Amino acid sequence: MRIRESIRISWRAITGHKLRSTLTTIGIVIGIGSIIAFMVLGGAFEEDVLGGFDTEDQTLVLVQTQGEVDGGFGFQTFSDPIYTQNDVEAIERIDGVEFVDPDGTIPASQVRRGSETTVSFTVRIAKPASFSKNVSGSFVAGEAFADEGEAVIDTELAESLGGNVSVGEEIRVTFTDGTRRSFTVSGIYAAENQAPGTGTSVYVPADPYYNVTVDTHRGTEAIAYSSLTVWVDSIEDLSAVQSAADEYFHSGESDAEHLVDDDKQIAVQTFDALLAQVGEIFDQVTIFIAGIAGIALLVGAIGIANIMIVSVTERTREIGIMKAVGARQRDIVQLFLVEALILGIIGAIGGVMLGIGTGYLLVGYAGFPMIYPIDWIVIAVFVGIGVGIVSGLYPAWRAARVDPIEALRRE
Amino acid sequence: MARTDRGGERTGTGVVAARNVSRTFFLGEPVHALRDVTLTLEEGSFTAVMGPSGSGKSTLMNLLGCLDTPDQGTIEIDGRSVGDLSGAERARLRGREIGFVFQTFNLMPRLTAAENVSLPMVFNDVVDADRRERARTLLERVGLGDRLDHAPNELSGGQRQRVAIARALANEPTLILADEPTGNLDSETGREIMDLFDELHAEGRTILMVTHERHIAERADRIVTLVDGQLERIEDVSDVVPSGPTVLDDRDAPTEPDGGEGA
Repeated sequence: MRIRESIRISWRAITGHKLRSTLTTIGIVIGIGSIIAFMVLGGAFEEDVLGGFDTEDQTLVLVQTQGEVDGGFGFQTFSDPIYTQNDVEAIERIDGVEFVDPDGTIPASQVRRGSETTVSFTVRIAKPASFSKNVSGSFVAGEAFADEGEAVIDTELAESLGGNVSVGEEIRVTFTDGTRRSFTVSGIYAAENQAPGTGTSVYVPADPYYNVTVDTHRGTEAIAYSSLTVWVDSIEDLSAVQSAADEYFHSGESDAEHLVDDDKQIAVQTFDALLAQVGEIFDQVTIFIAGIAGIALLVGAIGIANIMIVSVTERTREIGIMKAVGARQRDIVQLFLVEALILGIIGAIGGVMLGIGTGYLLVGYAGFPMIYPIDWIVIAVFVGIGVGIVSGLYPAWRAARVDPIEALRRE
Repeated sequence: MARTDRGGERTGTGVVAARNVSRTFFLGEPVHALRDVTLTLEEGSFTAVMGPSGSGKSTLMNLLGCLDTPDQGTIEIDGRSVGDLSGAERARLRGREIGFVFQTFNLMPRLTAAENVSLPMVFNDVVDADRRERARTLLERVGLGDRLDHAPNELSGGQRQRVAIARALANEPTLILADEPTGNLDSETGREIMDLFDELHAEGRTILMVTHERHIAERADRIVTLVDGQLERIEDVSDVVPSGPTVLDDRDAPTEPDGGEGA
């Protein structure tokens, strides 16, 4: 029997039971649709967080403390102050390193600008040169601080403080230790893309405000930072600096490796590597959620199988007629498989459309950039077709075994 | 079409034959549906099979129609022994060599008249254009040239049976097997259907018809009577005195499907 004929006859059977076929297909549509929607949403979120970084042009190596997340995916970074001034100087001696910008926060409770105040902000230390080295950020007004008593605020903080902050204005920061200081705003900085939790900040020079100290294994007391941003002269030096710094922090010479907790590691990564690591976690989470959505697909598959079995029972007489006029077992199998296949394909196409549509709406609502997960769409279509075939196999086999004598005798 | 290769030399041995055929069903105890039946159908012959319910008529039809295989003996169609064939080959043979006409019509409900007639050709891999042309010709032949695209439920009983007859002719079969073809029809429509069978007979087609009704059976060349799975007698119709339209066995109302044996 020609495949075209099977398609024609099967299509007739499908359209002959429109409601039933529709309900069957809905199972697949929802299954595949939810997988695609999650993939769109996950991909868009990842794109939103990571996509704006010009990873290729960032000439920096990050030294951070990382550890496992309890019972979850991936890793988290810790801000324990373990990188001492001694370590900073050691890294700065590596060939190709332009300078090291130690990162740390100064605990603060409130920032005030005139009558506007906010409590949700962070005071970070920075080196003036870091602002110009960062290719994904720029000053919207002013410039980096040059002296003690000056500070850079980012656009988010400027917004929190009523907006329209101009260079030269005063802000007052209340630190957790009770001291209050006034800063003159030297510049307002916009980072095109920021990792979650780094926005809404005041940037001040480390000296004289940052004074977190630790006791080193050498018996001395030293200022220590949460992480280090190592700026490199040129992109060519990046990997050499990365491996040299990595070696230093695992050589036994650094203070940090003696201070780091046993369950945490010192990670020395290029920006690219860090983003890849984060991206991997996003993928894992997305796949995990889509896997749960896959249960819906399984239910859809069972639905198809169930409907097909009912359909075989209902059409026993028709199967008998077809056998009487010369249909072989394989013709009958073909007919029912094609029917299941058509349901699977329709379900897959509908699911992809539903998934992209839902994803588009959710992504638009969340303000993420829209992405089209082509690879997952292709996978989903094949899964739909596979689900159709697998769930059609048993009913088709049952149909092929119908005894035409019995079938024709039925009323 | 497919039948042009058939030579006349087989006329002597019969184009379809059952030789010493037995068929036993096991339903708690063995039921001998057929016992050592030998029947030869000459090319162009019209044979009626009569007998009470449970006499083996349907079993004989199923065997000759390649829906079933005998426990003993052989079924030969156009010189080929059916017993040696695989299931798929038997299905093929059935599609090409046998045209079924049933009491309950057995049309595919979702296919149009023309598509129903085409169905045996679909399974025989006849190309689409030829199929459509032939379906049209056959439906015109049975007087339904204006009903090609009607669904079975848009046709009367007599029209449905005509579609079924057209379908039976689709692959130019060696044998037309008709099981109570007038059983579900009123007597007037039944007569029209029998006229159609007469015409097919006159065209030289080989027909075997199972019936309860003597007056229907008497339109055949000869009447084979089965009793308890055995051949009771074979009468040439020209030898017997025509009788009125009486029912042979009042236990079998003609509207009831013949489902005694094997059920």
